[in-house]
Amino acid sequence: MRGNIIKYPRDNIDTDVIIPGQYLKVHDYAELATHAMEGLDPDFHSKVKEGDFILSGKNFGCGSSREHAPIALSHCGIKAILALSFARIFYRNSVDGAFLLPIEIDQDAYDGISEGDEIDIDISTNEIKNITKNQTYKMKPFSDIIGKIIASGGLFKYKPDQD
Amino acid sequence: MGKTLFEKIWESHIVVEKQNEPDLIYIDRHLVHEVTSPQAFDGLRMNNRKVRRPDLTIATMDHNVPTSDRSLPMLDETSAIQIKTLEKNCKDFGITLFDINSPNQGIVHVIGPQLGITLPGSTIVCGDSHTSTHGAFGALALGIGTSEVEHVLASQTLWLEKPKTFEIRVEGKRKNPHAVTAKDIILSIIKNIGTAGGTGTVIEYRGEGISDLSMDQRMTICNMSIEGGARAGLIAPDEKTFDYLRNRKYTPKNYESLVDSWRDDLKTDSDATFDKQFILDINDISPQVSWGTNPGMTCDVDEPIPSPDEFSNGDPNQKKGAEKALEYMDLKSGTMIEDIKIDRVFIGSCTNARLEDLIEASKVIQGQKVASNVSAMVVPGSQMVKKQAEEMGLDKIFTDANFEWREAGCSMCLGMNPDILSPGERCASTSNRNFEGRQGNGGRTHLVSPVMAAAAAIYGHFVDVRKLDLN
Repeated sequence: MRGNIIKYPRDNIDTDVIIPGQYLKVHDYAELATHAMEGLDPDFHSKVKEGDFILSGKNFGCGSSREHAPIALSHCGIKAILALSFARIFYRNSVDGAFLLPIEIDQDAYDGISEGDEIDIDISTNEIKNITKNQTYKMKPFSDIIGKIIASGGLFKYKPDQD
Repeated sequence: MGKTLFEKIWESHIVVEKQNEPDLIYIDRHLVHEVTSPQAFDGLRMNNRKVRRPDLTIATMDHNVPTSDRSLPMLDETSAIQIKTLEKNCKDFGITLFDINSPNQGIVHVIGPQLGITLPGSTIVCGDSHTSTHGAFGALALGIGTSEVEHVLASQTLWLEKPKTFEIRVEGKRKNPHAVTAKDIILSIIKNIGTAGGTGTVIEYRGEGISDLSMDQRMTICNMSIEGGARAGLIAPDEKTFDYLRNRKYTPKNYESLVDSWRDDLKTDSDATFDKQFILDINDISPQVSWGTNPGMTCDVDEPIPSPDEFSNGDPNQKKGAEKALEYMDLKSGTMIEDIKIDRVFIGSCTNARLEDLIEASKVIQGQKVASNVSAMVVPGSQMVKKQAEEMGLDKIFTDANFEWREAGCSMCLGMNPDILSPGERCASTSNRNFEGRQGNGGRTHLVSPVMAAAAAIYGHFVDVRKLDLN
């Protein structure tokens, strides 16, 4: 999976800035997407393109349980969020609906990757390659459970291994 | 080795358990509201599925309902559609709904306990992060997203990773319990552990400082567990819990025999261990006021706003966050909290809009008037709270002081209905989140207790309520 980075070098990006409460009434995902990150970055829509990744600090997606947050980002074309850590409901929502991949990174990757860098993520080897800078970092592997839900294509397609 | 309360509840709800797989957990109660459920019901229809246990599923409308006169038509068309959609979904799938005209309508986390739907030892889910509130009754209560809402509607179960355990011991006694409240305890905890301090854990709140609290106060504590990043918060049930739930609308018929078993079973064994621990001494804690844009950015009412350096302890992202927060809040480090002037006061939300919150706030304002530069409102947590408060004459105390007295709902906590801040307005709010734009685009939120909010309304700026006579 290859794409370019939009970097927000801060902690605690909450679901209210990802998609403000007033838009939780919007059921059309394309329209919802037009308001993604509205509370945080007015230039987001001029930057974002299909296949991009967001990189951020600790506790990404904290706050509300609104699944609208990963939905809005995924409908802008965002395929993965790379963050030092995630709030748990956002993390689960991202994989349950197969909206995007929440990828936990370490400080090296966080410091090494810059805005605009081209990145290749391989979840089979847990490696993140920075094509722009010719660097490689490790991602934190998904837990068994999360890996299986991702591999199944979401919560509703997941079936436990049969005996 | 002994088990924690959380482990006991978890183990008694496992439907399927396999190595290297998530546990399939049975859900005893599912609470539904208008905002996070429409896509879930659509999903059921698309796949030709029914609601597996409509009898264990209860719905209300709270997030976007107007809190003004409900005999008038709703002006916001998209909210009206969302409300109509919930009515249709509940009718189609046979789910009990407390609609906008029901005497039982209210914020889902306020009505659950009031109706006796919330029971000790049970598992409860809702498509809302503040579901953690129900943990005050010794229930394992988890906030979930819409995909999981659909999964529970269809199967009454959820695939879950077992969280870790986190003991928070609250030791000591508050010197002035009318001035230093449960809200100040939980804000102090979050200030100390941070907004991600509880990530991946279920917190059990223990100790004298917790058992001393009333049920309304315990709900305030558990409600904000999510602001510390936790999956849920729990308090072991005791006689206060059992008394609260006796003779409610949905209290089970065999309640007394259930209480007998809960009394024996629903506690952490003395030799159980937790994965993590934090201890808060409340003997000397002060009323808390948030100054920044997350609930961890909080200080004592008699302190100055910290500098980004003091706040961050050398963490560059924390420092940057504090700088950005001060800029957004239009505040300077070193400013004393009591010197901050406010424009609006909101007493409401699933954190602090229960009867006791309103009683305590009313004591501060009795016989006084809201400052001329402030507009203030009270939004009771449920129509039942509103009715009880009116029977006690609290509505008169508030309206005589020039507070608005509204109908029940989430209201200005999250800015989905017309109750929002204008850009730049500064609000003393009893809600749970001070995120940028949470109460309206450009709005500035300070999280405080109901008595602190009420006092700020009267004085037009924050005041240390320990200086007031609150008895």
